[in-house]
Amino acid sequence: MEVVTNKNDAERKIASQSNHSPWALARKKFIRNKLAMVSLSFLMLLSLLSILAPYILNVDIARVDFLNINLPPSSEHWFGTDSNGRDVFARTLYGGRVSLLIGLASTLCVTLIGTIIGAIAGYVGGKIDQFLMRLTDFVLTFPFTVFVVVLNTILIGKVSGVWTLIMVISLLSWGGTARIVRSKILAEKENEYILAAISVGCSPFKVIAKHLLPNVASTIIVQASLLMAVMIVVESSLSFIGFGVPADTPSWGNMLSEARNSDVLQNKPWIWVPPCLAITFTILSINFVGEGLKDAFNPKSNR
Amino acid sequence: MMASNDVLLKVERLKTYYPIKGGFLRRTIGFVKAVDDVSFEIKSGETLGLVGESGCGKSTTGRTILRLLNPTDGSITFDGKDITFLKGKELRKMRKHFQMVFQDPYASLNPMQMVGDIISEPIRNYTGRSMKEVKEEVFDLLEKVGLPPDAYYQYAHQFSGGQRQRIGIARALALKPKLVVADEPVSALDVSVQSQVLNLLKELQKEFSLTYLFIAHDLSVVKHMSDRIGVMYLGNLVEIADKNSLYAHPFHPYTQALISAIPTPDPHKKKERIVLQGDVPNPINPPKGCPFHTRCPVVKAECKEVKPVLKEVRAGHQVACHLY
Ligand SMILES: Nc1ncnc2c1ncn2[C@@H]1O[C@H](COP(=O)(O)OP(=O)(O)O)[C@@H](O)[C@H]1O
Ligand code: SF4
Ligand SMILES: [Mg+2]
Repeated sequence: MEVVTNKNDAERKIASQSNHSPWALARKKFIRNKLAMVSLSFLMLLSLLSILAPYILNVDIARVDFLNINLPPSSEHWFGTDSNGRDVFARTLYGGRVSLLIGLASTLCVTLIGTIIGAIAGYVGGKIDQFLMRLTDFVLTFPFTVFVVVLNTILIGKVSGVWTLIMVISLLSWGGTARIVRSKILAEKENEYILAAISVGCSPFKVIAKHLLPNVASTIIVQASLLMAVMIVVESSLSFIGFGVPADTPSWGNMLSEARNSDVLQNKPWIWVPPCLAITFTILSINFVGEGLKDAFNPKSNR
Repeated sequence: MMASNDVLLKVERLKTYYPIKGGFLRRTIGFVKAVDDVSFEIKSGETLGLVGESGCGKSTTGRTILRLLNPTDGSITFDGKDITFLKGKELRKMRKHFQMVFQDPYASLNPMQMVGDIISEPIRNYTGRSMKEVKEEVFDLLEKVGLPPDAYYQYAHQFSGGQRQRIGIARALALKPKLVVADEPVSALDVSVQSQVLNLLKELQKEFSLTYLFIAHDLSVVKHMSDRIGVMYLGNLVEIADKNSLYAHPFHPYTQALISAIPTPDPHKKKERIVLQGDVPNPINPPKGCPFHTRCPVVKAECKEVKPVLKEVRAGHQVACHLY
C-alpha cells in the first residue's frame, strides 16, 4: 500500500461511516442551501394545496353566480370574485392544478424526448447523429406559437384540451434539451471510463444508460428545472391570448386573461393579482431550486 | 518470465487513422496517421514493452489491438482468431479475453459507480449474475490488488491516484483475461508509488499467467517490466528485439538516441549523448520515405524516397532502417 497522508486517513474514516456517493453529496449540499430549500418548500406546499383543492374547498368553481360578480375580497371570498361571480381564491388553487400539471408533464416529456435523442446522437455519431441533428434544427426553427395556435384550433373539442396542449408543447420543445444533452455526451464519452465500459463488455445501450447518463444527469436535471419555469410561462401566455387551455378550465393563464379588460386591469386588481403572483412566485422558486441544484452538483462550489 | 512458444497476438501492418472533419458539412478533409505501420507478435506469458515519445501512437496501437478503435488497415490475430473486423456481439464475446489498464487514474473510473460495482461489472456482463452473487470474488480481487475490503462501498473520488490504479487493475483482471494492455499505467502517479504498482503488475502476471503489452514513454520503466521491447516513432514500429539485445546493440538511429539519453549512475562510464535535431513531424502529413529521415543523423539519399520495412538483423532482432 502506498503512503497515505494524515488528511487522507481522516477522510477515509469519515468515508466508511457515511454515504459518499456523488448523489448523496449533492443532496447534502442542496439541503444546506436555504433559498433553494425555502423555494422547494413553497413549491411543494402550493402543489399540495392545488392537488387537494377539490377536497378542502367546498366551492363549485364552474358555477356562474351573477348575484355575486366582481366582489372585492371579504371574509367569505378571501380573494373576492371574478366577473362571473366565481371565487378567485378557489380558482387560483384549481388553476394551480392545471398550470403546474402542464408545466410538470411537458417538462417530463420534453426531457425524456430530448435526452433520448441527444444521447443517441452524441454517442452513436455519424449518419444517425447527422439525421437527428437535422430533425432537431427543424424543430427548433419551427414557428412555435403559430403551430400551437393552429393545431389547438383544429384539435379542440376532439381531444381533452389540457393533454392536447401538453402533447403539442412537448413535441415542439425538445430541441434545446436534445442539443445540450448531445454536447454533454460528446464531451463525456471522451473519458477513459467509457472505453473501459466498452472493454468490459457493456452493450451500447448499457454504456449510455449506466455510464453516460448518470454523469450528465446533473445537467439534465438543472436544465429540466429551468425548463419547467419556461413551460409554465408558455401555458400562461397561450391561455392569456386564448389559445391555451380551454376557457372553461381554470388555469393561471386563463385567469390572467380577464385582465385584458381594462376595467378589470385598472379597478379590480383582486381578479388578476392572485394568479399573477402565483405565476411569479412559482417561477422564481423554480429558478432558485434550479440554481440550488446547479450549485449542489458542482464539485467546485462548497456552499 | 517464462514465455511459451505459442503466439497469443499477431499484429500485421496495422494502420489506424483518425479522420479530421472540417469545412462545409463537416466532411473528412484529412487523416491523423496515428498508427501507420506496426507489426509484431506477443507470445503467451511474455511482456512486450512499447516505447516512444508522447504522441507517437502507442495508445492508439493499444486501443486498436483491443478493438476499442477500428483499424484502417492491416490485421490483428488474437489466439488464432482474426479480430480485425469483428463487430457487435461477436466482438463483445471476445473482449473478455483481452483487457486494458488505462493511463489516467482519474478519467478511467466512472465517478458515479461504487467500487464494488466497477469491479464486478465485467463479471456480471458475462455471467448475468447479480452483484450479491459475485461479491466474494470482488473481495478476493480487492485483496489481490492490495485494497481493503471496505473499498467495495466507496467511490473513486475517495482514493488516491495509486489506489485508483489498483481499482482499474482489479477491473481488468476480473474476467481472468489472457492479454492485458497496460497503457502507461504509472506515468500519472507519484514516483513514490510507481514501483509499487509496477511490482503489483508483475506479481499478478505470475499469479494469473498474464500476457502483457506494456506501454510507456520511459525506457527505464519499460526495461524493468518487459521481456522484449518495441520502439515506435511517428506511428511506425522502427525496432523490436529482446530486451538485452536492444540495450546492448540498438540498431536504429532513433533507438540509439533514446538509449543514449538514459542517465547512467556511473559518472566515469560517460556515454556520448546523441541529441536529435528538430521536432517530430506532424502525423497528418508524415515525411515521405523513412519517417525518421528529417531528424536522422546518418540519413542517406535513399531514406527520403523509400520507406524501410522491418528486417531481421540478428536472431529475434528486427529493425526498419536502410543502414542494415
Ligand atoms: N481521437 C483522436 N482524434 C484525432 N487525433 C488523435 C486522437 N487521439 C490521438 N490522436 C493523435 O494521434 C497521435 C497519436 O496519439 P496517441 O496514440 O495517443 O499517442 P501516444 O499514446 O503515443 O502518446 C497524436 O498525434 C494524437 O494527437
Ligand atoms: S532509414 Fe535512413 S533516415 Fe531512416 S533511420 Fe535509417 S538511416 Fe536514418
Ligand atoms: Mg498515450
